Amino acid sequence: MKQQPRSQKAQKLIERMAKKLNRQMVGSLTACVHCGLCTDSCHYVLTNPDDPTYAPAYKADRVRKIFKRHFDWTGRVIPWWVGAESPTTDEDLAELKDIAFGKCTNCRRCTINCPMGVDFAVVNRMMRGLLVSVGVMPEGVAVVSKDQWEIGNQMGVLKEEYLETLEWMSEELSGELDDPGAVIPVDLMDADVVYSINPREVKYDPRSIADAAKIFHIAGEKWTMPSEGWDMTNFGLFSGDDDLGGAVARRLYDKVTELRGRKLVISECGHGYRSTRCEGPNWAGMDVPFVMESSVNTMLRYIREGRITVDKTRNTTPVTFHDSCNNARSCGLYEEPRELLNLVVTDFREMYPNRSENYCCTGGGGAMSMSEYTPRRLKSAKVKADQLAATGASVVVTSCHNCVDGLSDCIRHYKLNMQVTQLVNLVANAIVVPARVAVPAAVEPAAAPVHLSLAGRRILVVDDEPDVLVYYTAVLEDNGATVLEAADGDTALAIARREKPDLITLDLSMPGTDGGKVFEALRHDPDLASIRVCIITGRPELRRLIYDRPVPPPEGYLDKPVDEETLLLNVKKILEVH
Amino acid sequence: MSDLLHFAEHGLQEGALLLMACVYTLRIAWLLRFKAGRDRQAPTGSAPPVMSRGILYSWANIAMPWAMESTRTHAVLYVQFVVFHLGVVAAIALSFIIPYAPQWLEARWLVVLIQATTGAAFLVSVYRVVRRLSGKVLRAISTPDDYFSLALLTVWFLFAALAASNQAEAGEGVLLAFFFLTAFFLVYVPFSKISHYLYYPFTRFYLGRTLTHRGVFPIRRGGPQPRAASQG
Repeated sequence: MKQQPRSQKAQKLIERMAKKLNRQMVGSLTACVHCGLCTDSCHYVLTNPDDPTYAPAYKADRVRKIFKRHFDWTGRVIPWWVGAESPTTDEDLAELKDIAFGKCTNCRRCTINCPMGVDFAVVNRMMRGLLVSVGVMPEGVAVVSKDQWEIGNQMGVLKEEYLETLEWMSEELSGELDDPGAVIPVDLMDADVVYSINPREVKYDPRSIADAAKIFHIAGEKWTMPSEGWDMTNFGLFSGDDDLGGAVARRLYDKVTELRGRKLVISECGHGYRSTRCEGPNWAGMDVPFVMESSVNTMLRYIREGRITVDKTRNTTPVTFHDSCNNARSCGLYEEPRELLNLVVTDFREMYPNRSENYCCTGGGGAMSMSEYTPRRLKSAKVKADQLAATGASVVVTSCHNCVDGLSDCIRHYKLNMQVTQLVNLVANAIVVPARVAVPAAVEPAAAPVHLSLAGRRILVVDDEPDVLVYYTAVLEDNGATVLEAADGDTALAIARREKPDLITLDLSMPGTDGGKVFEALRHDPDLASIRVCIITGRPELRRLIYDRPVPPPEGYLDKPVDEETLLLNVKKILEVH
Repeated sequence: MSDLLHFAEHGLQEGALLLMACVYTLRIAWLLRFKAGRDRQAPTGSAPPVMSRGILYSWANIAMPWAMESTRTHAVLYVQFVVFHLGVVAAIALSFIIPYAPQWLEARWLVVLIQATTGAAFLVSVYRVVRRLSGKVLRAISTPDDYFSLALLTVWFLFAALAASNQAEAGEGVLLAFFFLTAFFLVYVPFSKISHYLYYPFTRFYLGRTLTHRGVFPIRRGGPQPRAASQG
């Protein structure tokens, strides 16, 4: 039988595999005995019990087959006997892509359950890296990688946007503490702490920046945030691209070095912590000359050292804790969050299994950016939903922004009555503001001067769910806005043309003209193009459809459900109302 | 004892052992040719982790069924694993006892022990064949080598159990079969999945080193799930 010629990409992938092989990797590729003990450790398997292609050993075997065929003598001499195979066509690579990106979150749970010590996640990451190197990857991975290469962060946050957010949060903090000195210092030289964050905080969760700033300020820390190189996340971990991983890590290390910072504190983000503290020095090929720690450790240290005082009775809602895979299974960060939680909440309920045996939130490994695999992800999230429900808690705390998104999707999909939050929010809520920090005198609400921050603003709220319309309208009207309502896309466009509101909050999934089309129509209409738009959707997988459109991106983006505080913060930010 | 049996017990075994040692040496040299990755991150925790403790933990993991969820929750599979590997040890020991210390087998208890161990391993092995053929996942990941290696061991266990009494005078067939199988086994092992024990120290060493450095090993569990929580 005539052998099919190998595609150029397949050939390159095989050639590049040679450069990725080190002793640990070869060990993992040769030691598997196909015992199948890893099978039940994977959340994909547990929710797809009849499909063997989700089994960790099966997935790793796709890589092992190539390794054996080209690098192991048995596979070279008797390939059929040991199951050695070689990718030939681009379709073969597409199948590998589907497995490496779409059937595994690199959570490493199978690794710690393998009697032989096979590190499946590392093998899978290598395959991702090889595929990326030949241009075979989910579109979302390409988009996010491009943003991180070119703009310097995963979400394409521009420097001005970042600095404006810091300024805005600075003002919020000064106002909250009634202390003009309570600000977010930027590019302060010789700081004891340089604080790095996830771009998601700038984009969707600026409150966590203000909360961290509040804690640093009250602790009396000499701290700063860098104006550039501030993103501690690293898509190289997910894409398997060590070059990207090294470049991103080096940007951050170089900035801290330039500022002569003594310690780099990494905000709560599992993959950011792992990438920056653990893998980054390896990818960047450098020994980092300063200390790096998670903000969880920092906050705990402040309490232990008496630099901040907390009152746990301010957080009485029952909470549980979700261990991020990267924190717990790859970096050993699992006791500190619990210690901290027990100091700031009154009702902490353990989730089972937990620590390094916890199940993935299902949003890890870059899964949130690969919308084509969303149905699989949500199906596999049943395991997590059951874990969450069993705790009886109404709040799940996690030290990871990816997990926040993954858990939020899971909660929404399985209709759990829970909210997701992070330790920084709970600590900031529990923190006792010392007397030396002047605070506004407590006044009866009735006596307080009425300050309606959105007074004079006209906001069009577009959503096909009546309850949501009522809720947004109430929140915005209570703060002085004039609210217009539309329950479908066509009505929204008509009202926008007639009323020219200052802001449109826009749902994406609606009957008739959907939010995506409305958004594009707004941007294409010269009379409406300047209207600010905040997308608020319950289907984050549609995010790509908005950002991929050939029009300027929306001014804001929120995932449902949106609480009152988040809605107001973001609306005010978009409208530049402080 | 016939010349053939003498050859099977001595010349054949020694030749096969020598060949296995040579191939194993080449195998290890091949593995060591790959550079070991270096971990540059600072160790996790306020005190530097005791690396030797973590590596020992990693190596001993297989002897601690409570340490991994996969062994903790599959007790029957774990017991099978133990029986199977004790059978391997017993059969290998037998292949040395018969040629070099046959007087040991005059002790009845030892013969019974070897027969019981290899007999139990044979039964486990048969079950493993069935499991591999019937399980969707195992079938999907199995290669011809997986099936052949398991079949080889199954037959080998059976003949080890039969040969343990070392009664050549009652017929040499069983002993010949056992030693020829052992020789084939020794020659075949380095080329098959059975050589996994050669890699085990490496994989578990590096995994143990990395995860100890990062504060993950030894794994800490939060205790069993309370009944109330599971009913949540």
